[in-house]
Amino acid sequence: MPKISKKSAVKFNVISHLAVIAGLAVLPFIIENPYYLGITNLILIYTILCMGLNLILGYTGLLSLGHAAFYGLGGYATAILMTRYGFSFLPALIISGLLALIFGMLLGVPTRKVRGDYFCLLTIAFGEIFRLVAQAWIPFTGGAMGIVGIPIPRIFSWTIRSETDFYYLGLILVVFTYLSLVLLTASRFGRAFVAIREDELAASVMGINTPAYKILAFSIGSFYAGLAGSYLAVYQTTITPSSFRLDESCLMIIMVIVGGMGSLLAPISGVIIMTLATEAFRSLADYRMLIIGVIMVTVLLFRPQGLFGTAAFKD
Amino acid sequence: MLTEVLIVGVMVGAIYSLVTIGYSMVYGILKLMNFAHGDVYIFGTLVCYTLLAKFHLNPFLAVLAAAVSGGLLAALVELIAYRRLRAAQHRMISMITALGAAYVIQNSSELRWGNQVLSFPSLFPNQSVVFFGIQISVTHIFTLCVAVVVIVGFNLFLKYHKAGKAILCVSEDIPTSSLMGIPINRTISVVYFLGGVFGVLGGVLYSASYNAISISMGFRGTIIAFTAAVIGGIGSLGGALIGGMILGLSENLISVYVSSSYKDPITFLILISILLIRPTGILGSTESGKV
Repeated sequence: MPKISKKSAVKFNVISHLAVIAGLAVLPFIIENPYYLGITNLILIYTILCMGLNLILGYTGLLSLGHAAFYGLGGYATAILMTRYGFSFLPALIISGLLALIFGMLLGVPTRKVRGDYFCLLTIAFGEIFRLVAQAWIPFTGGAMGIVGIPIPRIFSWTIRSETDFYYLGLILVVFTYLSLVLLTASRFGRAFVAIREDELAASVMGINTPAYKILAFSIGSFYAGLAGSYLAVYQTTITPSSFRLDESCLMIIMVIVGGMGSLLAPISGVIIMTLATEAFRSLADYRMLIIGVIMVTVLLFRPQGLFGTAAFKD
Repeated sequence: MLTEVLIVGVMVGAIYSLVTIGYSMVYGILKLMNFAHGDVYIFGTLVCYTLLAKFHLNPFLAVLAAAVSGGLLAALVELIAYRRLRAAQHRMISMITALGAAYVIQNSSELRWGNQVLSFPSLFPNQSVVFFGIQISVTHIFTLCVAVVVIVGFNLFLKYHKAGKAILCVSEDIPTSSLMGIPINRTISVVYFLGGVFGVLGGVLYSASYNAISISMGFRGTIIAFTAAVIGGIGSLGGALIGGMILGLSENLISVYVSSSYKDPITFLILISILLIRPTGILGSTESGKV
C-alpha cells in the first residue's frame, strides 16, 4: 500500500530536486537535434497530462476516459482566444486551465450518484461529445480542419519560437504541475483522496465529504490537462479535433498504469516508454500497435503495479 | 416511412444486443471492461468474409466456423492476458491488458486484411416481402429471427443447462462457487468463448445487412457494447437486450429524422440522461456498500 503521509512532505529534499531541475535545464545543450528535442517536448506534454490524470485515477481511484476532452478544451480555448480575440499567451493559458477546471467540476458532479464504470462511460460520452461538437461546429471551431495560424506565444519579453524555447516552457509547466501536486498530495486533501480510493464508505464515515473531494480531484486533474492543451496549441500552431480522440485518453491511461499509479513520479516512466516506443517503431508502422500491445501486456503481466509503482492497491 | 425506420432500428438493435450479451456477461462475472471484445468479433467477421468471398464455402458452415474461431480467440485472450491478473489485483490493470490485447488483435487483422472497407457478401436472398402493406426485406427478417433464436436459446441454456447454471453461480460469487465444486477457470473460459461466438454472430449479421466490414468497426463495437450494457444495466441479460434495442432504434431514428452526423452525440446525450436518472442503468440493481 503506498504511503502518502506527512513524512513525505517533510522529507521533500530541496537540494536533490534542484539538482534534477538543473540537469533538465541543461538538457537542450546535450540534445541539439531538433527532432529529438521535439520528442522531449512531447514527453513534457504527456507528463503534465498524466500527472493530472494520476491525481484522478491513481490517487482518487476514479477511472476517467475523457481526459483528452479537457486537453482539447484547453487547446481550443487558447487557439480561439489567441486567433480571434487577440489574447496574449499567458492569460490564454490561465483561462484554458480554468475552463478545463470548470468543465471538470461539471462532469464531476454526477460522481455523487453515478459510480465506478458507469462514471467511466460518462467520461467517454463527454469526450466523444466534445470531439464531435468540435468537428461539427464549423463557424466556431473550424470543423475537421481545425484552427490554423495560432500566433507565436510571448511571455513578457520572451518570444517562444524554437524547440528549445518550447522545451523550457514545457519544463516550467511540468515543474509547476509537480510542485503543486507535491503540496496537494501531502496536504489533508491528498490524504482524503487516497482514503476515498482505498475505501469510500470508510472515508465517508470518518467525516470526509467524499462527493466534494471527488469533484475536487477530478477538476484539479482536468485543470492540468487544460494547461497541456494550451501548450499544445501554441506548440503546433494548429489544433484539430483528431488530436483529442478516445485513443488519446486511452494512451494516457496506459501511460499512468504502465508507469505505476498513485505515486507522483512513477507515471513519467510510463510516459517516456510509451512515447519512445511510439517514435521508435514509427518506421515499422504496420507492426507498431502490435508491438505496443505486446509491451503493455507483458509489462503488466510481470509487474502488475506498473514499472515504478508501489504495491498494487486493492480495488 | 416511420414503420420502415422502426423495423431497421429493431434489426440493428437485435444485432447490438447480440454483441452486448458477450460483453455484459464478461463484465457480470469478472467486473472487467473487456476492451478486446470489439476486435475479437471483427476478427471473426473477417474470417467469415474470407471463407465466403475467397473460398465460397456454404454460408452456414462459414458462419459457424467464424463464430467458433472468434470464440476460441476470446478464450485465448482470457487465458494469456487476463487469467494471471484475476487474483487480488486492481481490476484496472486487466483492463489495460485487455486494451493491449485489442491492439494486438486489431493490428494482426490489419496486416492480414488491410484497413479499407471490404464488401461483405449477402447471406440472405436480396428480396423483400410485403406484410399489411409494409415492405420488409428478407435480410431484416432473417437477422431478427437469428438474433431472437440465439438470445432465447442462451437464456434457456443459462436456466436449464448445468454449464449455464455454473455461469450464473460464478457471476454471483466466485469463491463460493469454487467451494461448491464449480470449475472456475473452465466456466470463465466458456463465458469468453460464448461472448466471442455471439459477438461474431452479431458482427456477421451487421456486415451482411450493410454489405460492409472494416477493421475500424472493432473499437466502435466495443464502445457500442459498453454503452448498451450500461444503459440496460451491466451484467444483466435483459439489460443487454433493452440497451441494444434503445441504441439501435435511437441511432436509426436520429440519422433519419435529424442528421447522421449528430447520431453519435445524441446517442451519448441519451446515455448521459439515462445515467443521471438511473445511475445503474435501466435494469441495474443499486449496490449498497458493505461494511
